Amino acid sequence: MSRLTLQIFLYELWRGLRRRGYLFSAFGIPLLVLLGLLIAPRLAGVAAQDAAESISRAQERAAQFGDALGYVDLSGLLEGIAPSNPRLTPYPDEQSARAALNAGEIAGYYRIEPDYLETGAVTTVMPMLRLDSIDSAPIRRLMLDALTQGLDSDLAAHLTRTPSYTTINISLLGAKEGGGLDEGSTFIVVYVFALALLIGVFFTNGYLLQTVIEEKETRLIEILISSVRPSDLLTGKILAMGLLGLLQMAFWVAGIILAIQIAGGGAGQLEFLASIANIRLPTELVPLLAIYFVLAYLLFAALYGIIGALSNSMREGPQYAVIFTIPAVFPLYFINLFATTPDGTIPTVLSLFPLTAPLAMVQRLAISVVPLEQIMLSIALLAASCVGALWLAGRLFRMQTLLAGQMIKLRELPYLLRG
Amino acid sequence: MSQSVAIHVENISKSYGTFRAVSELTFKVFKGEVFAMLGPNGAGKSTTIRMILDILKPDSGKIEVLGGALTQATKERIGYLPEERGLYRGVSVIEMMVYLGTLKGLSPADARRRSMDYLTRLDLAEYAKKKVSELSKGMQQKVQFAVTVLHDPELIIIDEPFSGLDPVNTLVIKDLLLDFRRRGGAVVMSTHLMHQVEEMADRLLMISRGQQKLYGTVAAVRAQYALPAVIVEGQGEWKQLEGVERVEHSENGRMGDVLFLKPGVQPDHVLGEIARRDDMHIRRFELAVPSLNDIFIQVVAGERYEQSVVGR
Repeated sequence: MSRLTLQIFLYELWRGLRRRGYLFSAFGIPLLVLLGLLIAPRLAGVAAQDAAESISRAQERAAQFGDALGYVDLSGLLEGIAPSNPRLTPYPDEQSARAALNAGEIAGYYRIEPDYLETGAVTTVMPMLRLDSIDSAPIRRLMLDALTQGLDSDLAAHLTRTPSYTTINISLLGAKEGGGLDEGSTFIVVYVFALALLIGVFFTNGYLLQTVIEEKETRLIEILISSVRPSDLLTGKILAMGLLGLLQMAFWVAGIILAIQIAGGGAGQLEFLASIANIRLPTELVPLLAIYFVLAYLLFAALYGIIGALSNSMREGPQYAVIFTIPAVFPLYFINLFATTPDGTIPTVLSLFPLTAPLAMVQRLAISVVPLEQIMLSIALLAASCVGALWLAGRLFRMQTLLAGQMIKLRELPYLLRG
Repeated sequence: MSQSVAIHVENISKSYGTFRAVSELTFKVFKGEVFAMLGPNGAGKSTTIRMILDILKPDSGKIEVLGGALTQATKERIGYLPEERGLYRGVSVIEMMVYLGTLKGLSPADARRRSMDYLTRLDLAEYAKKKVSELSKGMQQKVQFAVTVLHDPELIIIDEPFSGLDPVNTLVIKDLLLDFRRRGGAVVMSTHLMHQVEEMADRLLMISRGQQKLYGTVAAVRAQYALPAVIVEGQGEWKQLEGVERVEHSENGRMGDVLFLKPGVQPDHVLGEIARRDDMHIRRFELAVPSLNDIFIQVVAGERYEQSVVGR
């Protein structure tokens, strides 16, 4: 990095860090979320208190009568079946069940409809709707008892037994021996990489567009490029905006973790984050991911530099950016193809083409062993594209200066690029 | 005037597609002089300046600046203020000046000290910590000028230096430029204000359609366009004078009459003849030397000088 590029980088970084817009989006938004998390439970508490008072009577009744429930069998399937659940009382008809409910003897009752065998229809009747009271388990058990009546007791026990599940967190077990990651980890790696890259690119390039367009608006650029080469100027800006984008991402991630902790009860989310953090990638994959991330970041920053040079307003810029962002996420549409034939023609071509290479190659690397020459070629093409895009962005940046904001005509491009 | 060359442009040409912006231009700028570049809009002045500063590459020809081809080190010895200029609006004046000064090779401390010196000279010291957006256009112009000379360059190239300035600030900037010249610096100034060129410039280059039209000292260029005529204001039948071939009256009469002299007759001969006669009295007698403005119009628009003199 030249002295001037470093100076521009440091100045743009310092200037960017003090921008109100940046401070708000980097710190303000996470802060607002945190405040929201702190205030929302209190607000919810007030609302919940009103609701709690209105149902307290029903709860008192439930406490008085326990969870006693009744049922009315209109299907005839439960004839002669004595319920094994002592909470469950049979009633011969709905009138008697309703009378028991009104008398407060039961908290509710089930009405097993006449066409239960065809439709499985059961109606629950309770004095007040309470989601936590809806429980189909007692009646389900009763029906199972009826259906298994007459069978061998061991066989009936087998049929009605709940399977015993064991859960293994595969992400904590690391990569499989002899190559790629297991499928679950692969998806996490690919999606986290894609998400980080796209969010980073999105943030960074918003700032980059802003600063490039600002140069044109303020007309400082001609003074600057009489001291600095346009490519040095743009490189300094791109690096500074890149770091600002990464810092913002870091603040947000820190904010999310903090928010989960403050919110409490976020054990599941924390576990998920921990599982992401604990993915054990094969050692050789980590530097490759880093290389692809940095090169992709630079390439898209340079491409946004080109867009900035060609745009005359912040409104135009993002519209042009679609030209680059759609190809970038293209490999995600083929994720099944990558999973089944990672070394097929389409995955190979996509992992070599610079715009699609970052996401495509990362998918392939996570799934299979990619030939070294393909990795080298892919990185070389990506790096060359970065240099080319930076050069082109610098040229267009300068051209725009000379044209004083006029739109570039295609036929003028060759001699304008020549300088 | 020192004859040390600051800029040597030799036979440069530049085309944009089929449009020839600059055609075989050759000139020199010396240290210790104010050199004016004149020409109508689109004449090729900005293209020439950009080629000197290596913002554009010439198709052919050679350019030497401060003794050689332009390098990064040479760029730090040049101050440039383009016509389309501005500053970051959201930053303070002093911060902007220090940043641009450091890009020209100054240390931050040195850039800060020099910035404050210039702001004091330009009566802007109290605005040092204000944002650029809070300054008036004229104040911003003065800050831009200060940035241009902050690193004590040997060569200043300024496009329309007095654009947007009121008469008082014009005088301030003019004094700074002339002071810079006195200290041996070279000033290249592109402007449309012909009276400023007459007042300040030592030499000039006039370009039209990318080609050199006039080049030399201001006095020589004006003399080159002088007519064999004198302008007189007073009473008398000028036609009776022996050396006068014909007389043209000014349309409004305020500027006097133009006396065209017979071949070989000198103006002082006519003046002596008027002085000897009792029936003629003059309040004004001057050579019919055109102003730079007249010359500019004549060269650019192809108007005849005689018509412009008679018509005014």
